Amino acid sequence: MSNLLAARAQMGTSLAFHIIFSVLGVGIPLLLCVAEGLALKTKNPVWMMLTRRWAKAAAILFAIGAVSGTILSFEIGLLWPTYSKFAGQVVGLPFLMEGFAFFTEAIFLGLYLYGWSRLSPRAHWLCSFPIWISGLASAWFIVSANSWMNTPAGFVIKNGRVVDINPLQAMFNPSTPYETIHMMLACYVATGFAVAGVYALAILRGKQGEYYRKGLLLGMLMAVIATPLQIVSGDFNARFLADYQPVKFAAMEAVFRTERGAPITIAGLVDQNTGQVRYAIEIPKGLSILAYSDPNATIKGLDQVSRGFWPNVALVHMSFDGMVASGFFVLFVGIVFWIFYWMKKKAVPENRLLLWGVVLSGPLSFLAIELGWMVTELGRQPWVIYGYLLTRDAATTAPWLNISFLIFVLIYVLLAAALVWLLLRVARSPLPKVEEVGQLQEAEEVGV
Amino acid sequence: MNVALFALVILWWGLIAYAVLGGADFGAGIWDLFVGREAERQRSFINHALGPVWEANHTWLIFLIVGVFNVFPAAFALLSIALFVPFTLALIGVVLRGAAFIFRYYAPRAGGNFARWWGRVFSISSILTPFFLGASAAAVASGKLLRPDGIADATYIVSWTSPFAITIGAMAVALCATLSAVYLVVEANQAHEQLLTESYRRKALWAGAVTAVLGALGLGLSVSEAPLLWSGMVARAVPVVVATMLIGLATATTLYIKRYRIARLLIISETAFLLGSWGLSQYPYIIPPQATIANSANEPSVILMLLITIACGLAILLPSLYYLFSVFKLPYPVPGLRKSVEREREAQQNDSVQQPL
Repeated sequence: MSNLLAARAQMGTSLAFHIIFSVLGVGIPLLLCVAEGLALKTKNPVWMMLTRRWAKAAAILFAIGAVSGTILSFEIGLLWPTYSKFAGQVVGLPFLMEGFAFFTEAIFLGLYLYGWSRLSPRAHWLCSFPIWISGLASAWFIVSANSWMNTPAGFVIKNGRVVDINPLQAMFNPSTPYETIHMMLACYVATGFAVAGVYALAILRGKQGEYYRKGLLLGMLMAVIATPLQIVSGDFNARFLADYQPVKFAAMEAVFRTERGAPITIAGLVDQNTGQVRYAIEIPKGLSILAYSDPNATIKGLDQVSRGFWPNVALVHMSFDGMVASGFFVLFVGIVFWIFYWMKKKAVPENRLLLWGVVLSGPLSFLAIELGWMVTELGRQPWVIYGYLLTRDAATTAPWLNISFLIFVLIYVLLAAALVWLLLRVARSPLPKVEEVGQLQEAEEVGV
Repeated sequence: MNVALFALVILWWGLIAYAVLGGADFGAGIWDLFVGREAERQRSFINHALGPVWEANHTWLIFLIVGVFNVFPAAFALLSIALFVPFTLALIGVVLRGAAFIFRYYAPRAGGNFARWWGRVFSISSILTPFFLGASAAAVASGKLLRPDGIADATYIVSWTSPFAITIGAMAVALCATLSAVYLVVEANQAHEQLLTESYRRKALWAGAVTAVLGALGLGLSVSEAPLLWSGMVARAVPVVVATMLIGLATATTLYIKRYRIARLLIISETAFLLGSWGLSQYPYIIPPQATIANSANEPSVILMLLITIACGLAILLPSLYYLFSVFKLPYPVPGLRKSVEREREAQQNDSVQQPL
């Protein structure tokens, strides 16, 4: 593998690994806050059981999130020093803010996860607020920095030097509102379905009781609020990309030639050399309508830039279609679930097919996030800072990148294996008996 | 004072915070290897000391990385290239330490294979990380980090493999062990664990002695290997260097006469003075002799905005940190505690009337 490819592979692997934990790090704290709030308000011990169980899983997941995030902050320098010099000058501000948000999150996580026996129930619950708020803020800050790479702003290049720097303008670059909201919602969609999926699987395997039903319902509630908003946000993103990141848009939709009244191309085999897409489903004029609400609008194709500046069209197109398909699948599952729920007068649906759909929605919504990031990152290639710095010019001069990549892959495999094993053990450990909320807290503390 | 220097001073305080908080967590990992008799009780003691705070302590490292990345982007790029290998190794250590600690903490059986293996990983990575961070710091201070032609080259490894760098790396490990042992003495004493208190008191004294010897050796080696640092030490930083030595002796004395809380305060100051003397000696260089504050700093207007952000961030952070440590570590009452914990604290307060601080 060339050094550049090894650097990209290591960065991509690190991002793909970390994103899972950062998504849960945004989503789970809100679930904890809601569930514990319900426990305090209704005095129903089942809510407290759910909170305690999730908190235990969260402690493990968040630790892995913290260390895998540290890898990324090192890798910005270790793999891409030229990028770090450029970005550090202009768009360091959101990185710094993310640092503070992460710090706040870590402090209150410590209080929340280890403070059960020390804090009063109310103070403990209040500690969950800074966690989910700073988690959400972290997502906003870090994605705004990524947005800047897609639509750089807030600086001028004069005589090869970066001058007239305006960090606020960099942070609030044109992509920021679209990309950040899309990612924040994605965290809630994926966490909601992942949690619901766990309990749906338990119910399918014959577990019964309020504990499983409430876990499933709370997860599905989060998912069903976030998913439709996410689809709308996706539509906004597509329209925005058509104007502001037209090359990425053309690659996503596999549009090779600029044309009026462009069709939507779904799936198919892309041949980057001939510009053909075989076996695709085409919806005539669909893309023009989607992007500009006008059947005859012009869509810029990949021919707007020379071939050397094309991303890998097949990969970007396939990732994009995969993301959209996963998104609509989980939306469908969410809607059907709540229709069943209301038709059955607020009883949790027991239709096995539907429950399997919920189980499947968990991994599919994480898949959608991974694919979405592949669209964003691969669709920007060969640039790392669009129009200003090529990825190949940003990579480090250090040799040994193949070895480094290999080592980190091994670390990820090791961490993933240990994590899965441990989480399964936590999930299989017997539930504590339903008692009074206060007693339960004291009782479990001894065990922890 | 210009903004870049001001920002550097803040970052240096961040470095001190990471050393006294994060460093002690690495130290706890080192002591985990030497639990001797009553292994399970000692390990659970370390687990309880670290559990609530390690993630927050670790975040000072992120603060440092992001700070240098922002304020001195050019220097950040040079450091990342020149220290590619030691930084990668330290990073692996950081990652494995955090993951291993949490895996062990939540292991299904405290004495089982899973817990034992990850416990071993926890300890080894707790030694590797401060070693490579210390060696990297020494490489910077030596003035030989970049090639003589001023280019950062990852294959130019003489700076961090020199005897000076290795001595400072080992000293960093010993310092972490000392910090941690002193904190654990205080906590064991508060918990009325006589045996543990005595054990950590001895460990603190030994580790402190090793740190002092390695520190003296490092200072001696710096005469030839880090001349710029040495000349700074004997000129501008002399009062701080002398203070560092005196505080070291005072720490040992207070440990010897069992004034543990004063010892804790002293070992923290010791670390602050040690890092302070490095900073003062190296001024005005970021990477001597090529990168200075002036030639590697970001635009002043950008730094000003970062400083404002840091001020706002710290306004949220410091009270939160105080609360975190109050709930888990300090004996004083704060709002939001359970009644039982409040009572326990009052009892402790009465206990410690004879022992101030």
